[in-house]
Amino acid sequence: MSQDIALDTASTPPAASQRLKLPSSVWLGILAIAASILVPGALGNQYWTYTFTLVTLYIVVAIMQNMLISEAGQMSFGQGAVFGIAAVTAAVMTGLHGQPFWLSAIGGVGAGLVLGALFAAPALRVQGYYLGFVTLSAALVFPQLLIAFDSITGGVNGVPAFVMSLATPVYGSITPLSILAVLFAAFALLFHAVLPHTVLGRRMIIVSNSPEAAQALGIHPGTIRSIAFLIAAFGTAIAGVLYVPLVGFVGPTAFRVDFSIFFFLAVIVGGQGKLLGPIIGVWLLHLVPNVFLADFSHYRLLIYGVVALAVMLAFPDGVVGTLSKWITSRRSGSEKVTVSLHDALRKDDELAASPAPRPEDGAALIEVREARKSFGNAVALGGASLSVKEGTIHGLVGPNGSGKTSMLNTISGFMPLDSGKVELFGRNVTRLAPWRRTRMGVGRTFQTPRIFDRLSIWENVQIGREGFGRAGGENGLAKLGSLAARWRRQDPSLLPHGQRRLLEILRVMESDARVILLDEPAGGLSPEERADLAYLLVYFRDKLGKTILLVEHDLRMVWNVADEITVMETGTVAASGMPEEIKSNPKVRALFTGGGDA
Amino acid sequence: MSIDELALILVRGLGQGAIYALIGMSFNIVVNSSGILNFANGALLVLAGVLAYFILPATPDWTIWILAAVGIAACLFVFVSLQGVLTLFPLKSSVEQHSWLITTMAISVILSAGIHLYGGSLAFRVPSILPPVSVFGLSTPSAYFLLMALAVFWFVVIRWFHQKTFTGLAMSAIAQDLDAAKVAGISVKRIQLVAFGISGLVLATTGFVGAPVINISADTGIGYLLSGFTALVIGGLGSNLGAMVGGALVGVISMFAAYRFGGIYQDTVTMGLLIAVLMLRPEGIFGLAAARKV
Repeated sequence: MSQDIALDTASTPPAASQRLKLPSSVWLGILAIAASILVPGALGNQYWTYTFTLVTLYIVVAIMQNMLISEAGQMSFGQGAVFGIAAVTAAVMTGLHGQPFWLSAIGGVGAGLVLGALFAAPALRVQGYYLGFVTLSAALVFPQLLIAFDSITGGVNGVPAFVMSLATPVYGSITPLSILAVLFAAFALLFHAVLPHTVLGRRMIIVSNSPEAAQALGIHPGTIRSIAFLIAAFGTAIAGVLYVPLVGFVGPTAFRVDFSIFFFLAVIVGGQGKLLGPIIGVWLLHLVPNVFLADFSHYRLLIYGVVALAVMLAFPDGVVGTLSKWITSRRSGSEKVTVSLHDALRKDDELAASPAPRPEDGAALIEVREARKSFGNAVALGGASLSVKEGTIHGLVGPNGSGKTSMLNTISGFMPLDSGKVELFGRNVTRLAPWRRTRMGVGRTFQTPRIFDRLSIWENVQIGREGFGRAGGENGLAKLGSLAARWRRQDPSLLPHGQRRLLEILRVMESDARVILLDEPAGGLSPEERADLAYLLVYFRDKLGKTILLVEHDLRMVWNVADEITVMETGTVAASGMPEEIKSNPKVRALFTGGGDA
Repeated sequence: MSIDELALILVRGLGQGAIYALIGMSFNIVVNSSGILNFANGALLVLAGVLAYFILPATPDWTIWILAAVGIAACLFVFVSLQGVLTLFPLKSSVEQHSWLITTMAISVILSAGIHLYGGSLAFRVPSILPPVSVFGLSTPSAYFLLMALAVFWFVVIRWFHQKTFTGLAMSAIAQDLDAAKVAGISVKRIQLVAFGISGLVLATTGFVGAPVINISADTGIGYLLSGFTALVIGGLGSNLGAMVGGALVGVISMFAAYRFGGIYQDTVTMGLLIAVLMLRPEGIFGLAAARKV
């Protein structure tokens, strides 16, 4: 696993980072945070310097929470506990045991990471609301444990902890600590802005949108979720450590459940996924009830709840999201985009002139034997066998419900078998997880294309190349490079269904998978696009030596390109062989009478 | 550990476990019809207890007790149905996938804050309808036995409802295949609202019957929520039998922990159970691995 992590954090390809332009909202946010602390600081207003330094630490926690929600797609109601455990640990070390602050800070961050690991561990197995409950339970249990261990944590009296070097003003009421808070928040904001454009960020987005697609790209979803929780815990713990010298005291009642829920609601109210969301959210939810309506502070929680509910019902994008939507809607519409295989392939005409020789009796790269799987009484596969030879296009056809997709899922590992055996590249993989099979060199597409609207069109192709840590594609479509510039800024959400399908095919072709499984790739394509697709399949077989298993209803296309064809019926194989043999097989003819499209 | 200590832990553990099982079943009925887990379930349970505090006199008789039960059940039926309307409110946004998590959590926060505004952090004490029962010479609140009976009652009623009534059958259909249910002409929204309402009935009766032994205060809802969910995860999400078994397990184990290490560790032990089950067997004892995902 540690190897995977090393790969995940690999830097962005140079081409992408050179062109990476951070949205102006990052600078706006940094400016706003800096001004909120430094302006009252320069004026010598201690109260507001203190308040905004505290608020800025909270903003960092909210930024981490925002990253968890919007990139990693995970819910945490326990970030307050991570903040709290870091603060308490640092305070106890420095305040009660007289350790230097830097050592206490390391201790505090370490404690925060331990709690983060407690969230990260179940994240390896489960996701979404399960983790919501796990984190919520930590938020509930943490203050109880503080009281239970009051002999260590100073009990109801709390722990006083002063760090004079950080709290002594250097100018006006600006302290080294307030400068540290500004820098730290700026760094957190920059991190969140850059993250979606890194390999790790893209993987988080893929995992949160479609764990299956992540596996089909060789990504282990649990690892990515765990990393997200650890990163969030790291940032949150640093904020918790800085809280100690700022407040000078850590009490046992400071980090109750509502403290954790506050961060969650602040992100929602501010606008989830928006860079400025956490800033606006924390300002609104903290300053309004605690400072401006201090007399009503006991209505604080009620206000949080009502505001969050109202925002969710009326402005689900939050304050920042709603505003930015309103602004963009007043600007002109975006350009129409298409993905065309023509563009990717045009003028590669030499193919037709010199078809590469095909291995007639290549080794079987896919070998499925007597595969059986049923769900209750419904039999998906009833002892089906399949053998796909290296360097061939193998067509898999049959009526709806005959088990074609089940066969694909069996090969790529999404459907564990009741009995039978699956071999890939001569290795028994029957019990191997899908993402591990992908890493052996098996790529696939899905019946419903998995296109990620958060990523640009180019990034949607690029993630195929990043699937298992290969640097830069050599054997892909050279032509694609020239399209990168145009596609890098284009949003795939406007693509029609057929084009999304092509995009997914390009992605898998760009990966270094040697075996490619295509699930109804021609569905929704125009006749011209189908011709292009057929051409592409032959191109990849002959030029790049890929092996392709093609599930398709367009029988004409299958018969045109396939070297071998397997016909399935009710979970079993009805016939298998060369296209000409299959065509004349009376059993097969009976299956397909009543129309070309079975 | 002596035999009467064991009996004490078992009886009280099973009694508490009945509360968790009932919360688990109230989760199930909604999750099976809409995939939504209501984070307000704990606060709703406490709300029923608070209502019982207001309605019941110091020494209730059976007439008042039953009338109060019906009244509170009706209240929560309406309230949770309304919550269902808010939760299922069509959200036209790219971020709607998690909306239910947020709206149900917000309702939970609002309920707890409201209870806190009224009663602070103090616990509301609710009188029992029956005198304590002696078990192995130890006086045991009768509410524990009423709760066990209630858990069995709702288990049977919900089973009957799912198998014999049209609405219940429609609910099962939605749980199995949403698209097919829609095509078959089932009004999905309406059925989902009914499910919310029924979960309100389960929580109302649990909070009311259990009020003498439930810790009714603004801060305790989340603890019940988590114990109920843990019971569900152990048994298998969606299975009421699982909720019964899981509830009993969580109840007895956490009662044992409270007895052995002190009540303050009760939630810690429950959290440990939750994490352990999620790591070892996320689908639970009676849960089925999901069928075809792609």
